[in-house]
Amino acid sequence: MSAISASEKVDGFTRKSMRKAQKQRKSQGSSQYRTQSAPVELSPLPQLKDAPSTEQQELFTQKLQQCCMLFDFMDSVTDLKSKEIKRATLNELVDYVSTNRGVLVETTYPEITTMICTNIFRTLPPSDNPDFDPEEDEPTLEASWPHVQLVYEFLLRFLENPDFQPSIAKRHIDQKFVLQLLELFDSEDPRERDFLKTILHRIYGKFLGLRAFIRKQINNIFLRFIYETEHFNGVAELLEILGSIINGFALPLKAEHKQFLMKVLIPLHTAKALALFHAQLAYCVVQFLEKDPTLTEPVIRGLLKFWPKTCSQKEVMFLGEIEEILDVIEPTQFKKIQEPLFKQISKCVANPHFQVAERALYFWNNEYILSLIEENIDKVLPIMFGSLYRISKEHWNPTIVALVYNVLKTLMEMNCTLFDELTSSYKADRQREKKKEQERDELWKKLDELRLSSSALVQNNSHGLPGVQNNNNNNNSNNNDTQDKSAEAAAVTSENKDPDDSVAANESSPCAK
Amino acid sequence: MDAFKLMKELRVNYEQEAHYLPRETGLRLIESTTEDDSRISAKCRDAKVEDVWSLTSFFGYSTQTFVLAVNLLDRFLAMIRIQPKHLSCVSVSCLHMAAKVTEEECNLAPPVELIRIGQCRFTASDLCRMEKIVAEKLNFKSKAVTALTFLDLYHQIALSHCTDGKEILSLEKLEAQLKACLCRISFSKAKPSVLALSLLRQEIHAVQSEDMLEIACHIQRHLKITDAELRLWSERVARRLSDYSSPECSKPNHRKLQWIVSRRTAQNLHSYRTVPELPTIPEHCWDESESEDSCEDVMSSGEESLSSSLGSDAEGPYFPLHLRRQHLHA
Repeated sequence: MSAISASEKVDGFTRKSMRKAQKQRKSQGSSQYRTQSAPVELSPLPQLKDAPSTEQQELFTQKLQQCCMLFDFMDSVTDLKSKEIKRATLNELVDYVSTNRGVLVETTYPEITTMICTNIFRTLPPSDNPDFDPEEDEPTLEASWPHVQLVYEFLLRFLENPDFQPSIAKRHIDQKFVLQLLELFDSEDPRERDFLKTILHRIYGKFLGLRAFIRKQINNIFLRFIYETEHFNGVAELLEILGSIINGFALPLKAEHKQFLMKVLIPLHTAKALALFHAQLAYCVVQFLEKDPTLTEPVIRGLLKFWPKTCSQKEVMFLGEIEEILDVIEPTQFKKIQEPLFKQISKCVANPHFQVAERALYFWNNEYILSLIEENIDKVLPIMFGSLYRISKEHWNPTIVALVYNVLKTLMEMNCTLFDELTSSYKADRQREKKKEQERDELWKKLDELRLSSSALVQNNSHGLPGVQNNNNNNNSNNNDTQDKSAEAAAVTSENKDPDDSVAANESSPCAK
Repeated sequence: MDAFKLMKELRVNYEQEAHYLPRETGLRLIESTTEDDSRISAKCRDAKVEDVWSLTSFFGYSTQTFVLAVNLLDRFLAMIRIQPKHLSCVSVSCLHMAAKVTEEECNLAPPVELIRIGQCRFTASDLCRMEKIVAEKLNFKSKAVTALTFLDLYHQIALSHCTDGKEILSLEKLEAQLKACLCRISFSKAKPSVLALSLLRQEIHAVQSEDMLEIACHIQRHLKITDAELRLWSERVARRLSDYSSPECSKPNHRKLQWIVSRRTAQNLHSYRTVPELPTIPEHCWDESESEDSCEDVMSSGEESLSSSLGSDAEGPYFPLHLRRQHLHA
């Protein structure tokens, strides 16, 4: 293990990713590749561009079939020549399908899809790193990327070819195909996911018959992710596709879509790895609200229900999402959620984590939000006032204190009389609290003094009233000192009273609160 | 303090108040100035006084501090012509000076903090120098007779005559109203005793207390305030207070506040405004080449939603015309 430089350490501890990189990479064998039999070599075929047009079809098919041969990229020394031939062929095929018209004849469809299926559909290997942290660690990249990339490229060009006929293709690009494609979204390789995203997007666009199926499967993937596994690498990509789908929803929105929003998208906010896909998720939510503003209330209530309680990073994300929602909210909808929302915001503003407080205070820099608040100042100001005033005195972070000033000043300018009223009632409350505190302190002082004076008495009057004393001692043997002593003091001072009475009288005062 | 002593104190203050009045000519000059970069205008002064109030409120200073600060400010402005760019420094200096003589030391905000929160462009040493200048020009030691002095006395007198005075007349409310008036330069022309009496009468009318009214008249006679003068200022006060409490109290942000956030927050602020890369897929999409799909996929089981989505995906006749044509040819 080579030494790790100081710059790669965080707080004196080596980053997890550095330690992982240091470990020896065991080369993974895979039963996918033939290891026992003789190495297969590809024989180079003539170029497509050189072939006469009558033979091109046949040559095209041959090349496709040739590309069905898979090679082991974990082993970096074998089959180099053949790998190169396949790579060049794939490249050629990509070009061929992109630039020529009349290439996609009905007979080519099955050959094409077979080649694609053979190359890309595979069981993803288990992760090298069982606690793969997408934010911290380097992803494990697909070893066969030099070939696989071209196959994906080819698939994309195939789908986008002007001669592409979904009616023919649908016999091969069917539900099984889509299902296998969706499984690949769990790949750790971001480049692969990026291709998959574009490909699935095109498939959704062109194959109307598959749309419902795709939506249902994505539904299932998300639900499994939220409630069972908490692991899936392709959430962000799937959400991006969904964003473009939601954008295209027809009005009025179907019940199925609204269900999806409330049962899947909102609970998705509870995932631990939210940071990886929050931007896309927020976009989807906002798109829904732009389509149907009546969804605002359930959405916001849903977010408030799932509001992060211990993760500040998530809280900042939620606040960002709320701001985006408020940017597009209708004033009538705002009125419905203003109270629960601002109750949460007033808590955020007082949060000791400075980023959370900052993000919440920054809402007041948004013109549209200000106009909404102004319209409803009589409801909003009382909710925010106490929090703001308190942290202006108590928060540790000077930047926050300065922002609070801005916010208070802005609110003051919106409604001076209401502000004055709240200020005076706040001050009155504070004074009452202070008075209570003082009274409590004085009561304890008095008790202290009683205790001191009575212990002095006991020492001086050891023969005082033995009968009374003994009674009290026996009765109060389980009580605490204060009560004992004060009981005795009372017994000493009020000789005429029944000892039990005086004990009772004195027991009540320390427990006054 | 008993009633007699209070009245005596009243007289004493009344005799001194002229000494603490800003020069009328100076105030008129400010009022008549139009928006200009070289001179202070009424609007300018009023905006600055509101800023002073914001700071007073924020730091938890008393109304007494505020009233004193405004008094110092107006007296100084009426005496010395300054450029608008220095107004900020002058006003904050007045506030600090007032706070020093009124507030407890432990509650005093350090000048640096005042400057930071008030987003001022000058330094603490500038502040210090300005304080000295103001103190010198006004010959200010530690006190001034202001409208608040009178308001306080009037309130005490009223209380001493009425047993339930405290519930009827709220000193805090009067102070808030005084503050509202002081935010307009015209009220600095009024004699403090008259201004305070106008406020008192206004509130007495509002609570409709005959007893209090009698006391107010008694005070007026004692100080020999003319009816005309009292009427004039009462009208102005009434107008100002009704403006102040109207719902359209919101004024536009004449000065943009600076919103300073930490680097991390600033970085994350605009990360969401990204344009999506994938083009929108409209829900109903009739493309000629794909129109055949819709009917055949009904076969697949477990597709409860498919038929519903089919129903809406396929708008219009179930087999559109162009499809029928294709069927015939196929």
